[in-house]
Amino acid sequence: MPSEFERYSRQMIIRGFGEAGQRKLKAAHVIVAGLGGLGSPTSMYLVAAGVGHLTIIDAQRVELNNLNRQVLHWHLDVKRSKVRSAIEKLQAMNPSVEIDAKLKKITPKNADGLLRGADVVVDGMDNYRTRYLLNEACVRAGRPFVHGAVEGFVGQLTTIVPGKGPCLRCIIPKEPPRKSVFPVLGTTAGVVGCLQAMETIKLLTGIGRPLVGRILFFDGESANFEEIEVRRNPNCPVCGGV
Amino acid sequence: MPITVKFFYNFREATGKDRIEIAGTKDVRSLLNKLVERFGQKLAEQLYEPEREKLRNTVNILVNGHGIMTPHGLGTRLNDGDVVAIFPPVCGG
Repeated sequence: MPSEFERYSRQMIIRGFGEAGQRKLKAAHVIVAGLGGLGSPTSMYLVAAGVGHLTIIDAQRVELNNLNRQVLHWHLDVKRSKVRSAIEKLQAMNPSVEIDAKLKKITPKNADGLLRGADVVVDGMDNYRTRYLLNEACVRAGRPFVHGAVEGFVGQLTTIVPGKGPCLRCIIPKEPPRKSVFPVLGTTAGVVGCLQAMETIKLLTGIGRPLVGRILFFDGESANFEEIEVRRNPNCPVCGGV
Repeated sequence: MPITVKFFYNFREATGKDRIEIAGTKDVRSLLNKLVERFGQKLAEQLYEPEREKLRNTVNILVNGHGIMTPHGLGTRLNDGDVVAIFPPVCGG
């Protein structure tokens, strides 16, 4: 524990954070679903911050065209599974974090089981079909879900706390067309992934005002952040009854 | 009191505006028609499939923070003071 005090000393001296905030992080279990452009920075910053238990989920292997943005995976990792590549780096960053890796595709059948026990789930997916599955499983369990998405120079972010604000279906009711290849700059994913880690830390420590009932748009070309209010749909097929 | 329309990303490029105020629109459909009249072909191409038969499925519209199911939600009524946001789906991760 003394080395942990030293490791986290700079964040523990933040006003309102302290040892109590650090203990909350240490007691927490976070699931990062997807280890791509968003999941890479999110999981790195959560591990660096001292989240006690991290589960990472991804079914894919590293490809060369991932490396401009998926900073957990390096040149020599091409063709390795993303979870294996990720767990090595994350565990080396902070050996005191319990990390488990699941080489799984998220499906309607396994979503509830995969997310069981998590205090917060982070969206690192690249498609809305799986995002909707995660959203539904989180709403069923009353579990916070931190949504992020990126494309080109732009990104969006919102925090879903079931019963307190809209869910992903309230905000984006129809599934957007799926793209197999989308343009994206690594730094865009870095910005949004970092903010997802920030939202997660806020939820776990109780510090600050999470992005519940608000969606944040980031436009890197004009270096602009803008939020708009989003509201629950009382007839939402996912969270309407919550 | 007019309604406020906020544009994001490609819709901001197509209109050259972050936001505008517009009066005399009774529903989302009539709002989009007025916007196309005002901003022309570039915006029309972002909003509609060729031949303008239907709205593209890459258009997200929020009315006062509520997502509408386009195209079925085009009949969503608009009232004075409403805020409409138009943005594309951002999908990658």
